[in-house]
Amino acid sequence: MRSPAEAALGAPARRERLDHLQATAGALAAIVVWVVLVGPILTLLGELSPAAIGRALSAPGALTPLVVSLESGALTLAVLVGLGTPLAFLLARGRLPFARVLETGVLALLLLPPLVIGLLLVFMLGPATPAGHALARVHLSATNTFLALVVAQVYESAPYYVLGAQAAFRAADRRLEEQAALLGDPPWRVLARVTLPLAAPGLAAALAFAWARAMGAFGAVVIVAYHPFGLPLQIWTTLQETGLASALPFALVLLVVALPLPIAAYAYSARARGRLHR
Amino acid sequence: MLEADFTVERRDFAVSVALRVAPGERLALFGPSGAGKTTVLETIAGLVHPRRGRVSLGGRLLATTEPARSVPTWRRRIGLLRHDPALFPHLSVAANLAYGAADRSSVAALASRLRIGELLAASPLALSAGQRRRVALARLLAAAPAALALDEPYDGLDEEAKRVVSEVILEAAAERQLPTLVAAHDLAEAQFVADRVAVIDRGQVLQVDEPAALVRAPATRRVAALVGYRSFAPLAGGGCFLAVHPDLVLLGHHPERGPTLIGELRSLRPSGARFELAVAVHGTAVTLRVDEPPAGNEIRFTPIAPPVYGEDGRLLASEAVPS
Repeated sequence: MRSPAEAALGAPARRERLDHLQATAGALAAIVVWVVLVGPILTLLGELSPAAIGRALSAPGALTPLVVSLESGALTLAVLVGLGTPLAFLLARGRLPFARVLETGVLALLLLPPLVIGLLLVFMLGPATPAGHALARVHLSATNTFLALVVAQVYESAPYYVLGAQAAFRAADRRLEEQAALLGDPPWRVLARVTLPLAAPGLAAALAFAWARAMGAFGAVVIVAYHPFGLPLQIWTTLQETGLASALPFALVLLVVALPLPIAAYAYSARARGRLHR
Repeated sequence: MLEADFTVERRDFAVSVALRVAPGERLALFGPSGAGKTTVLETIAGLVHPRRGRVSLGGRLLATTEPARSVPTWRRRIGLLRHDPALFPHLSVAANLAYGAADRSSVAALASRLRIGELLAASPLALSAGQRRRVALARLLAAAPAALALDEPYDGLDEEAKRVVSEVILEAAAERQLPTLVAAHDLAEAQFVADRVAVIDRGQVLQVDEPAALVRAPATRRVAALVGYRSFAPLAGGGCFLAVHPDLVLLGHHPERGPTLIGELRSLRPSGARFELAVAVHGTAVTLRVDEPPAGNEIRFTPIAPPVYGEDGRLLASEAVPS
C-alpha cells in the first residue's frame, strides 16, 4: 500500500499531464470557435476560382465601384477625423453640458439598424426638406449622389469612431497633461505633445473600425445612394442581376481592399500600446 | 519672494496656511502623511484653487480670490516635483529632460550631475523609482522655474542619491535665487535641505522655526510629538507633562543638563548602532536610545533640557526643575 507521502510524490506528474491536457483542450476549443466565426470568409475563399475572379473583374467598368468605395471611404474618414475627434475629446473630458445625454445620442445611432438610418436621412436631407433646399441652392443633392454616399457612410461609421476615440482620450493620463502644463506648455501644446500621442493607439484602432464599417456600409447606402454605387451595392446588384456566383469575386475585392488599413492600424496600435505600458 | 496666504477646502478638513519664502531661501513643510503639504504645493502651482486668499511670486499675483483671478499653471513657472514623477511614457529620457527646457545645453550637465547621464536613450518605463524621480527633478530644473515646490524629493532614493539630489537642489536655489518649498514627512529629510521648517498638521501650520530650534523647543505638545518626542511623563503636582525625546537623554545623574528621572527597565533592543530602552517612570512608558546597554534594572537618566507642556498642550518651559 502506498503511504500518503508516496501518493503526494506521484501527484505532480499526474497533475502536470492534466494541466497540459486542459490547456490543449482549451486551445482546440478556441480554434473551433474561430473557424466557425470566420466560416463565411473561409467559404468565400473556397468557393472562388481564379478563372471566375478574372472573368468578373475584367468586365468593362467592373472596377469603377472599387474606385468609388475608396474615394468615398477616404472622404468619410477625413470627415470623421476632422469632426469626430474634437467631439470625442470634449465628451471624454466631460467639458460638455449634458455629456451623458450627448453620449446616449451617439449610442442610439449605433443601435439603429442602418436601413432605418437611411430612411431617416431621406426625411432629413431629401430634396423636399429644408436641408435639401439649402443643398440645392449650392447645386448639391444628398440623394443618389457621391455626397449622399459619403453622408450615409459617415452616419453608419461615426459612432464606432466617436466612441472609440472617446475611450482613447479617456485613457490618456490627466497627470501627464498637468505635468506638461507645469513645464510651461499652453493647452494646445499639451494636446499636441502629450494628449494626442498618448491617445494615438486608441485613435488608430477606432479609425480601423470606422473604415471597415464605412467600406461595408450598405443599409443606409442602399436607401439614399443607390447611385453611384460602391462595392457593397455592386455585390447586391450583381447578385440580383446575374446570381450568386458572379457576386462573390466582388466580395473578395472588398475584403482585399478594406482589410489592409485596419490591419496596419491595429498593428501600430498594438505596438504603440506595448511601448506605452511596458 | 513667494507669498502664499490661503485656505483650500478638502473633503476631510480645510488647509489654511500663511507662508513667505525669500529668494534663495529653503522652507520645508514638515508633517505627517495627509497633513496638507501636497495641497499647499499644488495650490501654489495652480492645480488646486483656494477658497480664500492669495498667492504671489516676485510681486506678481498668481492667484487671488478677491476678485477671483488665477494665472493658469502653464504661465506660473512653479517647478513642482510631484510625488508621482509623471514622466512622459511616449518620449525617451532625453526628450523628457528637454521637454520644457529653456536652454538645452544645460540638460546634459544636469543629467550627469544627477547620475542619469547613461539613461538618456532609455524609455522612462525601464527606470527604477529612484531614477524616475531624478529624471523628473532634472526635467523641472531644466525648465527654468521661478520657484521650486518639491514634494518628498528624497522618496525612494538611497543615501548616495539623496546627497546628490540635495546638493543639486541647494545649488539651484542658491545660484538662481529661487524661493524653495520642500514637503517632507521625515524630519531628518526636512532638516537636510531647509533653512526653516514649517510644521503642518491637519491643514494648519503649527510652528515655523529653524531646524535645530524646532526640536529643542517645540511650541506645543502636538509639535513635540511630530518632531520625535515619544514620551510625556506627568510631573508631580499634576497638570504638567515633561517631554522626553529618545535621543536627547543621558544615562545617569547630570543636574546641569536637566532633571533626573528614575524608572524600571522593561525592554531592551538594538536600534541601529545604539540601543532602545523602554523604561517605566511612575507608570508612564518612556523610550530612550543610548550608546551602551545599562547594567541593572533601575535606570537613572537625564532628559537634556526637556520641554514641559501644560494641560492645554502649550509649552510652559523648555527646562524643567527636577521633581
